[in-house]
Amino acid sequence: MTAPSSQQVLDVLATITDPDLGRDVVSLGMIKELEVDAQGKVSFTFELTTPACPVRDRFKTQAQDLVSDLPGVTGVDVRMTANVRPAFMRPKPSDILPGVKQTIAVASGKGGVGKSTVAVNLAAALRKSGAEVGLLDADIYGPSVPAMTGSRAMPEQVNGRIRPIEAHGLKLMSFGNLVPGDQPTIYRGPMVGKAIEAMMVQVDWGVLDYLVIDLPPGTGDASLTLAQAVPLTGVAIVCTPQDVATDIAIKALQMFRRLNVTPLGLIENMSWYVCPSCGHRHEIFSHGGAEAAAKRLGVPFLGAIPLEQEIRQDADSGTPVVISRPESAGAQAFTHIASQVAARTSIQSFRQLPVINVH
Amino acid sequence: MDITWEDGKKSTYTGEQLRWACPCAECRGEAGAPGRLDRVKELAAAELQIKDVQLIGQYALQIAFESGHATGLYTFSLLRHLND
Repeated sequence: MTAPSSQQVLDVLATITDPDLGRDVVSLGMIKELEVDAQGKVSFTFELTTPACPVRDRFKTQAQDLVSDLPGVTGVDVRMTANVRPAFMRPKPSDILPGVKQTIAVASGKGGVGKSTVAVNLAAALRKSGAEVGLLDADIYGPSVPAMTGSRAMPEQVNGRIRPIEAHGLKLMSFGNLVPGDQPTIYRGPMVGKAIEAMMVQVDWGVLDYLVIDLPPGTGDASLTLAQAVPLTGVAIVCTPQDVATDIAIKALQMFRRLNVTPLGLIENMSWYVCPSCGHRHEIFSHGGAEAAAKRLGVPFLGAIPLEQEIRQDADSGTPVVISRPESAGAQAFTHIASQVAARTSIQSFRQLPVINVH
Repeated sequence: MDITWEDGKKSTYTGEQLRWACPCAECRGEAGAPGRLDRVKELAAAELQIKDVQLIGQYALQIAFESGHATGLYTFSLLRHLND
């Protein structure tokens, strides 16, 4: 029996549709380096738009099965890789985050909903999937990232630029690294904006697939500066399930909508608690509030995170739970959410944006 | 200045049209006080000539004119409605 042609292989692979992008994987340019030898051995690279792709394994199995079923095929070798595509082409070279492909803001309406914990674990989960990830703590008044990642060092300066701190494979920068110990930052609004801009312009972030930005709560200076200074790929909103929290989370989401920043979706934190002595599941802050709010607003629901003592303990001791206890329910929830966020950001790379010409 | 929108529609703007539509507080006025564009009838040629356009996040364009005036952030929805 003769080996199939490359076109025949591409034709069967084109029946695989990317569920998030809504197009077939061949026309999306995901199949690369396709080779078919005379003995019927087929090999190709399957290039995903993110290493945290939620359907990575399904794609691989589907591709293997479809190609194996072709007459004349004696073996299939699928190499899975990922190449994060930049979300937006800048109209001209910019000195703000030139090497960063995707910027993901993590915001909330209220404080105390676990936004920084989510941001740290989201960054760590994306890093574990194989992506290059940075984490910018834009909470000038209450920076939590240094404690949660165990990186309280002062950053080094090289040629007048600040080097981000490296911890757990992440590049980090926080105002907590610049203002030592228990000293407060006492800033009026415009200075908050300047400080956040400085963390983007003066820090040498290098080349990153994702920069996760942990925003302070609310809809004020920090969020506004960020939405003006960089084309954000999108924003994930964290809230707890009870009405008083979801109501305010909606305000945050609507603010970003007004600024044309795409809502990637809502994340429900402290969603349930499993009592370690009786094993009973308690819904202390109610349950499902964020999912209901997401449905009402027509935005994706990205997932729910349980209230676990371990998440808090690991945050306090400086190692994100997705690294220290990857098997725990909390870590798995974060990993699931990270792949949902990555999938939503990939969609942004394929948007047809307005073209502006000045002449 | 030309914009080709996400839905394929094309809009063309002159510097003069954009200058008179400047949404900044100085031009429009604030807190009940009239702005500069409410008071003047004519603008000099340098006021109407576009010098530079910067993208503000994902929601607006900052248009700088030859006169140095650059405080207006023209949101995409303003620009879209201007020519509809």
